Amino acid sequence: MTQVSVTPESFEMVFYDAAVIGEVVGEVAERLGVEESIKLEIDEESPLGRSKVTSYDPIELWVDGGALENTKRPRQFGSARTRDTIGRLLLRILDRRSGRFDETPADDELNLMQFAAWDVHCVGRLERLGIGGQRQRRLYQFRNRHGFTDLADAAFQQLWESSELSWTEIERISEGCRIS
Amino acid sequence: MRKIFPAEELARDARFIRQTNEQRLGDPRGARVAGGNTNERLAKLTPELANGPDRARALMHGIFVGEIQALEGAGRTCWDFEVGEDVPLALKLDMARQCWDEARHCEISVSLAEHMGTELGEFAENGLLYEAACNPDPVLRLTGVNRALEGLAIDVFNTMKEFGNLAGDPVLEFCEDWMLADEVTHVKMGSDWLRRLTENDKERLDKALEFQKVVDRLFSFNGFRGEDDDSPIQLTRRFRELAGFSDDEIDEIADMSREARVEAAS
Repeated sequence: MTQVSVTPESFEMVFYDAAVIGEVVGEVAERLGVEESIKLEIDEESPLGRSKVTSYDPIELWVDGGALENTKRPRQFGSARTRDTIGRLLLRILDRRSGRFDETPADDELNLMQFAAWDVHCVGRLERLGIGGQRQRRLYQFRNRHGFTDLADAAFQQLWESSELSWTEIERISEGCRIS
Repeated sequence: MRKIFPAEELARDARFIRQTNEQRLGDPRGARVAGGNTNERLAKLTPELANGPDRARALMHGIFVGEIQALEGAGRTCWDFEVGEDVPLALKLDMARQCWDEARHCEISVSLAEHMGTELGEFAENGLLYEAACNPDPVLRLTGVNRALEGLAIDVFNTMKEFGNLAGDPVLEFCEDWMLADEVTHVKMGSDWLRRLTENDKERLDKALEFQKVVDRLFSFNGFRGEDDDSPIQLTRRFRELAGFSDDEIDEIADMSREARVEAAS
């Protein structure tokens, strides 16, 4: 199983268990075929849901504590949310390593529309693997970035259902439905 | 059937998880408010924020459970008080009308949750609104619920309506606009009954206004609702005027919010 190191090792503000988090992250990594070790840093002080890849090789991830939280039970760990958060980050890493994403700008240069489109493509694949979901939530986010139009909904459908798009294709689909 | 039904015993199915006020205020990361947390220096809720759509979803869920509790509160007010001894029949008729509105708002909120990709019960429910509706004095109850909390609802609905407008989401914009119109009526009911029932009772009027301030303060975490451009929820002066608030009363809420913001920043 994938080696996962979680920082911090114990939590003061939330009721998380580093060992449980490590297990869930390891399980997601295994499902996605990631065999190398993963470092995960958690900012437990933040209830927000931000997350990012801080290093692609070796794999190092950073998340707000809120990105792993059970929204029904504040301060408690949420495994479904964690699978969604970690799954998206790991798929981004795999995409960038695939050769299909060589022209992708650095993460901090991506705009909200590009992120939304890539996320849709990631979460659609995660859902088919039984890891994530919330299709309607992703559609709502996509519409907020691309418009509440039939054209945007058709683009969403294409991003969600495709299995192996390249960055160029994601960009084309996203640009094709934006409201000017 | 018993009078004054306790908040802990409200009927909810397994999808809903209640978060007590102690749990909410005891969160070292800040209390949940406006789809975010008090400690995160919340920006004004707009679609341009990276977490804007998710904050809107969380806030909409808060509105939804608020609608359920408002329905339960107005329903209790119809039952808890006797006509003649406690309240006039016309007050009960207003509360019955409000029940009808709140039931419709629940249905609209369920549809909006579906539209925004939110599961019912996805976020923890706080019962503070219904707790304010347990006050044994009908005047204090209407002041706390209809003027303080429904007043906040005016500000929240207007903020959400603007969010829908900016996002180009006609469903959200129109739904919020329709519900906003009802909320103005509910607040006006509270303002009218407060004045009529305390016309010759200055002491009761003062107690009711003090209770309203307590409720307003409880919902003014870090001054998240205010008139500054960057306030997460915008205080809506015009609609409050229509709902029977005087300029002085609106100024007071704005000042309370400003003070809470300064306090939080220091």
